[in-house]
Amino acid sequence: MSVTVDALYIFDDHNNCVLEHVYNGRPPSAQTLISSFISRPSPRPSILQLSDLAPPVTAYSVSHAALLLVAASSKDVQSLAILDFLYRLVDVFEDFLGSPLLANKIEDNYEIVAQLLVEMCDGGIVCNTEPNALRESVEVSSVLGKLFTHVGLPGSSPALGPTNGLASSLRPTITPSLGPAIPWRKSNVRHTSNELYVDIVESLSIVFAPSGRPISARSNGSIAFTAKISGVPDLLLTLAAPGGTSSDKTSGILRTMQLPVFHPCVRLARWKDSPGELSFVPPDGRFMLAGYETDLMPSSLNTDQPPTKSDKIFLPATVDLRPGLGGSGSEFEARLTLNTNFPGVATTGKSSTSRGGLGPIPSLSFGGSGGHSQAPSLEAVVVTIPFPVDVRSVTELKPSRGEANFNAFDKVVEWKVPTKEGGSINGVATLTGTVAGPLSATDTDDDQFSTAEVGKINTMAGYYEDDAITNQDETEAVMNGNNGSSKKLHANKALMPRSISVSFNVKGWLPSGIKVDGLIVDVKKSKGLGDGVRPYKGVKYLTVSREGVERRV
Amino acid sequence: MESVSRIASMMDPARDLTVEAAQALGLAKGLGGGGSSGRTIPFAKLKALLDSRSDRDLLDGLRKVVSMIYQNKPCLPYFSSVVKNVANPNLEIKKLVYIYLLHYAEADPDLALLSVNAIQKSLSDQNPQVRALALRTMSGMRVPVISQIVSLAIKRGVGDMSPHVRKAAALAIPKCYNLDPNTLPQLLDYLSTLLGDRQYFVVGPAVQAFLEICPDRIDLIHKHYKSLVKKLVDMDEWSQLATLRLLLFYCRRCFPQRTRRVTKVNKKGFYDDEPDETVETNEVVQILDPDLELFLNACKPLLRSRSSAVVASVTSCFLYLGTSEYLQEAVGPLVGLMRGPPEVEEVALCNIVLVSLSAPDLFVPYASHFFIRAHDPPQIWRLKIELLTLIFPHAALHLKSIILSELEHFSHGSDIELIRESVRAIGRCAQSDPINAHQCFRVLLNQISSFDNILVSEVLTVVRHLIQQEPASHRKTVVRLARNLDRTSSPEARATIIWLVGEFASLDPENNIAPDVLRILAKGFADESEPAKQQIVLLAAKVYLLFLQREGATSPDKNNDARKMGDIEDESSRNSTLVDHPISKLWNYVQLLARYDVSYDLRDRARLFKALLANPQSTQLAALLLLAPKPVPHSPSPSESRKGLVLGSTTLVLGKDVAGILGLPGYRELPDWVEAGHEPDPKLRDAVDGGEKEEYVSLGARKGTTVAASRRLDEAVKEQGLEKVVAAGSTKAHSKQRTLDDWLAESGEEEEETETETEEETDSEEIEEEESEDAETGEEESEEEEEEEEEEEEEETAMRQGLMSKA
Repeated sequence: MSVTVDALYIFDDHNNCVLEHVYNGRPPSAQTLISSFISRPSPRPSILQLSDLAPPVTAYSVSHAALLLVAASSKDVQSLAILDFLYRLVDVFEDFLGSPLLANKIEDNYEIVAQLLVEMCDGGIVCNTEPNALRESVEVSSVLGKLFTHVGLPGSSPALGPTNGLASSLRPTITPSLGPAIPWRKSNVRHTSNELYVDIVESLSIVFAPSGRPISARSNGSIAFTAKISGVPDLLLTLAAPGGTSSDKTSGILRTMQLPVFHPCVRLARWKDSPGELSFVPPDGRFMLAGYETDLMPSSLNTDQPPTKSDKIFLPATVDLRPGLGGSGSEFEARLTLNTNFPGVATTGKSSTSRGGLGPIPSLSFGGSGGHSQAPSLEAVVVTIPFPVDVRSVTELKPSRGEANFNAFDKVVEWKVPTKEGGSINGVATLTGTVAGPLSATDTDDDQFSTAEVGKINTMAGYYEDDAITNQDETEAVMNGNNGSSKKLHANKALMPRSISVSFNVKGWLPSGIKVDGLIVDVKKSKGLGDGVRPYKGVKYLTVSREGVERRV
Repeated sequence: MESVSRIASMMDPARDLTVEAAQALGLAKGLGGGGSSGRTIPFAKLKALLDSRSDRDLLDGLRKVVSMIYQNKPCLPYFSSVVKNVANPNLEIKKLVYIYLLHYAEADPDLALLSVNAIQKSLSDQNPQVRALALRTMSGMRVPVISQIVSLAIKRGVGDMSPHVRKAAALAIPKCYNLDPNTLPQLLDYLSTLLGDRQYFVVGPAVQAFLEICPDRIDLIHKHYKSLVKKLVDMDEWSQLATLRLLLFYCRRCFPQRTRRVTKVNKKGFYDDEPDETVETNEVVQILDPDLELFLNACKPLLRSRSSAVVASVTSCFLYLGTSEYLQEAVGPLVGLMRGPPEVEEVALCNIVLVSLSAPDLFVPYASHFFIRAHDPPQIWRLKIELLTLIFPHAALHLKSIILSELEHFSHGSDIELIRESVRAIGRCAQSDPINAHQCFRVLLNQISSFDNILVSEVLTVVRHLIQQEPASHRKTVVRLARNLDRTSSPEARATIIWLVGEFASLDPENNIAPDVLRILAKGFADESEPAKQQIVLLAAKVYLLFLQREGATSPDKNNDARKMGDIEDESSRNSTLVDHPISKLWNYVQLLARYDVSYDLRDRARLFKALLANPQSTQLAALLLLAPKPVPHSPSPSESRKGLVLGSTTLVLGKDVAGILGLPGYRELPDWVEAGHEPDPKLRDAVDGGEKEEYVSLGARKGTTVAASRRLDEAVKEQGLEKVVAAGSTKAHSKQRTLDDWLAESGEEEEETETETEEETDSEEIEEEESEDAETGEEESEEEEEEEEEEEEEETAMRQGLMSKA
């Protein structure tokens, strides 16, 4: 159960093989593998045993953008390790070939890809996945390589191009050091403009019970760091979170950043001694510094008593759904409540000045997409309502704002609500629609129910002295049994959506309330950073909900 | 941790594939000849490029060939033209030639052999990168003939100065073994040396190789055990994985499980002078060997690793080696893996389920992670539902009711599988937590009157199982179910209820509802579905049989009376009372109904029962057949079958039905704990290690703890101000044993050697310090953004001055 890969395949969205690399043994060819792979019913688990192939292999698959990455192994290996490897592979490819990773980028740079594959995994044993270490051993000095580093987002790696050029021109004179000094940082980093960026991205995952009470509310945070700074800098990133008292600032951080994981460069001892302080020598370029999660639930679920007060979580967008409206119960109404009165936003002006050392942070941004104001902005609001498979169509969609349509393939109603128009976007928007079930359903249902009804004439209700449990289904049954329209009501009830969710992005606000308090280059410990050089520092906060706020009905 | 690419796409989703794709497409078009994809170059032209003397042309040609390899175009014709460049001094050319060789050496071993000589020469190149590359390529060529040469090359690599080469040597060992398994004895020699290497960077790959070729030779590990444990934190993720795996197996084989009973002091009597009694309770506590504890504690920082596989591996070490306190620490990080991409979440859930089978209570605080999202695919919600049921008995009341309503919610869904799974889950909740079973029952029974046939029949199956497990306490439930016959339309559901009524008729003769149920059902017999009719006939037979038995039991008194009056008369009178009884009439009526039914199966059954019960005096055979006790069904958690599988393995994810009884090839069961007395001598672990340990973690040893690489770095830099001066002259001396702090101490000089443009920056510490002072006085004229950092700088310079004065 080691970590060995027999072969690696990459397929594009038409299941054409983009890349096939054999490490070990005699794995099946890309064509036979993919045909066996797609013969499995979708959605496919990430680990599939393809026992119909000779030799039988286990396929570990990961899909990224439009690409499908498959690693094949004929032996039992550590399952998570292979998936990890595939994600690292994507990261490394994006680092070298530009982001996002596209099939034609791979096709145009096979010589780089080939070197990377051999370096990352030697004879099937995964051994080196650090982009910085790979930079030292993989040649990208070719014309194509230079071109493609420029293809990346204008903002994403402006300094990478020149660096490559510089590094490669220097290369012949470099005699590789005897040992890997810092495994994650390449040596001799030189940047003409020194920049440091912190991006904190939180992804919401919130479920509201039908009662409107949250039963699960989490925010999964990731701290992405971009270091374009010369020499061997030693950085100290200080984070602050609400909830800590002035005397004990760390308690807020400990409560807010739960289950953290860190890049190996972070000094764990420092974090342990003073939580909130991340001290590290960064790799060159972009990397994930840390990950954490924040429990947004106001009270613990694991109690014997139901919570007394109503739990409130601030969200810029919430949804509600009322199914089974109208005479035949085939209509529904969705309500979207937008609220951009972000808690604590009024103080942003102040806090930015108090953070003096960092400069005008809130207005900083990446890739020229800037220009958004200081106040957090709510964008890309999309309400998603999944319907049962039996639903034939959803008609008469009437949104009070934005536009909505029904996707008959996925059986999903998507309702896009614009938030860019001037003026306040706060308030409630509604969407109504009518559900149409399968064509022949009503007739057969009627038959079924009438036969069922016959058996019920001889009622036994009330005959016996009853057990203690009396409940509402009796009255319900009486109600149901009598009129014919209730059957239809029930048929329609089965067609009603059971949940509704909303997706959105918010720039400049984090549900956890985490803030970057300071980012210091420790000049004393750093090496090779030009004297008096003050790197440009930028911080960006982003909250993302990908159908992350969900309301049950 | 999320991958960079996923976060990037989250931050800027719009750019995905639209602008970019168009741009890239346009570029490919505009580039014309530059793009190599989909363009075939005439054979002669490419060959000319490969034969060219200009490096530029040669590179161009090689790139095209490599592209063709990946496009599955025939490249074998170029073999000689490519391979003759193997001795080219240009590193990039060399690399591309090596890639070609790795691909095609097997196809043309004879020609490939010609290149071996040149590669061998590269093994003694000045540049360690070239040496490592040559070693890797030579071992990677699948030409078995050269196995001995490869073995020699590895031997040479093992003794190399550069850790890069030693690492390549370690990684070459399994490849050489695959070429020729007979080289094993030599390879073990090399491996043993490499395992003792001072560099974590080399030891990691050595462990990986060890696992590949001889995972059972734990005798090689003893003397390296402590150094492996120490280096664990510094290794890269892949080496950590291998080392964790190795040490897990090692520990099971070398540390016998020692337990002791917890002693409790019992106050024996009222008076103080009575002696207290020390009693051994049944609680058993595991005692950890100090060496084992060393390892487990070294694992703890790895729980903060960004790699999900490492977290899972540490969890498995804690689960299989440690005490529950250790496991408790690992549970949170394990649950944290669910933050990852969906593929990782799925596999992480598999592992979480396995751990929760043995320690469900630890997962209760994380219950909210396991609530199902609307967009979860089946493989994920299945595991989540299972987890919810596993933690249910350990949850507090409020959480219990949330879990139940959660399951109830999904039992009303539209996905048949989801309905089935969630109803079964409610059943398992009731089964595992008898105290709160009534709650589950209420939820289930509320659903019986639903119009959803699938739901109802599933609910009834579960209810039936539950009742059968504990018949006595569910008498009223049966009554309640019988009442539900009025509202239940599903044929299977009706059949199940009728069967239950018949089954429980014998339990409680005083309060028997079966005859009445039968009476009412008989009225509507004609309209029932066939399964229900069958059950009605069966119920009738049971009711009649019970009636006969009861009559038989009371008859002895009658017989006594009858003997006086005369046997024959009595018999006839008794028979007539039997026949006149409503139950007999009911039985006859049902028989009559069944006899003229359209279904032959039903008619046959009726005939069978009739024959069985024909003679009211002999009911034994009928009782044997009809009133036989039924086996109690037990519904285990779906993953119960995976319980013994090793955490983290692929076999665990697939399950034994897919992976086979023995698991996938290469799957190894966890070894049992070694029996006390059979373990290897603990002194073996101390023996050779001593001196070497000193050399490796000089800093760590001083502090007496294991220190992360970054921490050591930190400390090294702290001391650097002083060390610099001292070490300046002597750095070259210990270039042999370079650790991180050594490197940092030296790197100033190194940079000076390699870079000329930035000399002034790194010249020496003193100059740097002066300059920073200058900066403070305002001489700085950099073009960087202006930011206020004065406080920092002041602080720093203050500290510097402190250092200066010390120096």
